[in-house]
Amino acid sequence: MTDIPTTGASQPAPVLPATESIASRDCPVCGTANAAESTFCEACGADLVVAVRASGEPQPPADVSDDTLLASATPQTAPAGEESPLDVGWTGAVPSSAVGPVTEDLTCHACGEGRIVDGYCDHCGTPPPNPRDHLVESPTAWVGGVCDIGKRHARNEDAMSLSATEAPGSRAVLVVCDGVSMATDSHIASLAAAKAARSVLDQPFPKGVGTPDAWAAGAGRALTNAVARANEAVAVSVVEDVPNPPSCTFAAAVVEDDVIVAGNVGDSRVYWLPDGVGEPARQLGRDDSFAQEQMAAGVPRLEAETGPHAHSITRWLGKDAPPDLTPHLTTLTATPGWLMVCSDGLWNYCSDAEALRALLHDAAGRLDEVTPTTVAQALVDFANGQGGRDNITVALARLAGRGSTTTTEATATAPLEGDPTDG
Amino acid sequence: MADFTADVFQNEFLPDGGTDVHAIVRVTSTGASAGTTSAGLPDPGSAAEVILIDTSGSMGRRGVQAAGEAAKAALAEMVDGTLFSIVSGNGTAQIVYPYSHQGALVPMSAHTRGEANRAIDGLRANGGTAMGTWLTLARQIFETVPHVTKRHAILLTDGVNEGETPRSLQAAVQSCVGAFQCDCRGVGDQWRVDEVRGIASALLGTVDLIPAPEEMAAEFEAMMRASMSRGVANSELRVWVPQGAELLFVKQVSPTLEDLTSRRTVLNPLTGAYPTGAWSDESRDYHVAVRLPARTLGQEQLAARVQFSLGGDPVAQALVKAKWSNDDSLTTRIDPAVAAYTGQAELATVIQEGLAAKAAGQDDVATAKLGRAVQLADATGNDDMTTRLKKVVEIDDADTGTVRLKKGASKIDEMSLDTASTKTSRVRR
Repeated sequence: MTDIPTTGASQPAPVLPATESIASRDCPVCGTANAAESTFCEACGADLVVAVRASGEPQPPADVSDDTLLASATPQTAPAGEESPLDVGWTGAVPSSAVGPVTEDLTCHACGEGRIVDGYCDHCGTPPPNPRDHLVESPTAWVGGVCDIGKRHARNEDAMSLSATEAPGSRAVLVVCDGVSMATDSHIASLAAAKAARSVLDQPFPKGVGTPDAWAAGAGRALTNAVARANEAVAVSVVEDVPNPPSCTFAAAVVEDDVIVAGNVGDSRVYWLPDGVGEPARQLGRDDSFAQEQMAAGVPRLEAETGPHAHSITRWLGKDAPPDLTPHLTTLTATPGWLMVCSDGLWNYCSDAEALRALLHDAAGRLDEVTPTTVAQALVDFANGQGGRDNITVALARLAGRGSTTTTEATATAPLEGDPTDG
Repeated sequence: MADFTADVFQNEFLPDGGTDVHAIVRVTSTGASAGTTSAGLPDPGSAAEVILIDTSGSMGRRGVQAAGEAAKAALAEMVDGTLFSIVSGNGTAQIVYPYSHQGALVPMSAHTRGEANRAIDGLRANGGTAMGTWLTLARQIFETVPHVTKRHAILLTDGVNEGETPRSLQAAVQSCVGAFQCDCRGVGDQWRVDEVRGIASALLGTVDLIPAPEEMAAEFEAMMRASMSRGVANSELRVWVPQGAELLFVKQVSPTLEDLTSRRTVLNPLTGAYPTGAWSDESRDYHVAVRLPARTLGQEQLAARVQFSLGGDPVAQALVKAKWSNDDSLTTRIDPAVAAYTGQAELATVIQEGLAAKAAGQDDVATAKLGRAVQLADATGNDDMTTRLKKVVEIDDADTGTVRLKKGASKIDEMSLDTASTKTSRVRR
């Protein structure tokens, strides 16, 4: 078992029931599932036909459901009208039209009086909220996240994709991608990247010989593979040659039986924020940014992160990505604590890991109900309260931990990670 | 069947705290010409025309004769089947054709055209000028054919309204609003541009100056041809603005300037309708300005929904939007069409105010206003207007708008400048 997890080419391709064969067409802009015959997104009005054309052949793995992806990353569909023997007992892909806004409520959310006509309220003129502007995911009770447009940007170019299995600490995937705002259509690129990466990371990692090192090596390869697939997804999201091809950052963390593997490219971050005060809070991996380079050269964090080029990133995903996209990898065994994946929209206002831990505990302390989603929302509210200058994404996993505090720097990247920058 | 399209030209981006949205809505009709209706033939009896000829004493024998020739030229352009009537006006108004036993209007045919021409030959100059009575008679004539929706009149005058008060003229004009459209022409230099413009403007028509009687025939022919080509009547512009917004103005800005703001009829609390008369194959531009309560950055709002409707049914629509942004490169741009028409509207205003001040003897005001007009015309490359202005003022420096009032500028040149002021040049996209 030395292989990178494959997309199940050796397994028989499942054939979806004909009636569900063209189940859904996910909007590349806001992520809403639409009926397959839709040409425009029900939620945000984006042109789905162009988007599908843009994504080219073969299409990036469709985000249908976990079960489908476990069975195969490239589900085949039966020709219309043909019944497949596999239809019997099929419990796979759930047509997402069931969860999509099939019967749209046309009442205006802003004034409550008018109805939405031609995309605007006929009373107060307000368009319906763009679902992409504020996304909430709560795959299970122990994993959740919030992705928000913030207060100053006209578009939410952050994207988030989460999945988790029911048992706490068993398995979770948290991916955050931050579209580069100077590039064209980065909001489409970031969502495509996040979904592509998650579909790779949803595959269980190879256990290898069963040692922690073997697991870490397999997990590292899976993350590297996820970055590669995400990068491809960004590249095909561009319709034609544009001066600024879409690009985005990448930060992901996978939990498997209370062991964490994290990886990032760009300046979106993974933080480990343990409950125990004896164990330091830390950023897992490091930024690919001008600020990080300055800090490596001895410039203090505050100065580097508020300098003129603080937000210039040195590595990113996209057509014009640098050749080396190996993510900064970290593996560690969880103690009770919070695993966070976030975009710079949050850490701009609280970069230091210890400060972030304190902030999180403070925010959680004010909540009646502490869940990953409510805490993520509280942190998004914090960032918006500070000005919300950028899109904000916070994804959290609540871990009970195994009790061990052993951490291991991954060996998948040649250079060892430097000292924890926040330590 | 006529097809209408509506396009909007605007910069939808507002800066932080910005409130005012300006947009040009271009309504274009195709297939609206009477000559291109589905059957390829105009529907007989679907249109009514009244020609109002000034036969006051000031017209003189030569003037009335020329006006008669002009009326005949107009009759020659009228499509057979069109209901028509000829009215002579002085201190009162009389139908000269059709003859009384034929009713107020008769369908055009070779026979009725011949009879009408002979009746016109009998016109004589005599008496005063009371245009209110002419318009009232025209309205009464049109009221005999309530089923005819396309109703058009041509009014010719050579003098100042007298024998009735401005108020009674105003009342007569108001009683005709919506009853028919009226194109007005003044011949010579003894009529008042603002008086006649008031009539034409209220009755959705044009106003122009005919310098000499001999030029009347060609002008009448052109007016009647234009009227005959209009195949669509009963149109209106509908403007919706959101709750809490203020509609600053609605102006037609092309082909001529016409402030429609005060012509609003309320359709519902958020929507007003503005009559736009009959259409041939053409396009007209409207400037809509809306004031919105400022929203926070990143927010979007529909600022106005502009619909073009025929007989009460919307047939084309344009959406005017507002988006608040902190991106200066987006918010500081002024849409070229909005800028051009805003400039042309100011040009028309300063010309009219300058000429009025000159007439009132306020030379310093006139000099300042006309100087500004010279400056605007020069800056926008409006050579036609610069040429007309040169006949009224001596230009020392067009850049700064430094001018002197021309001694002995002819009245007709001033009137020509006045009537031309509201004609705009189409902004190309």
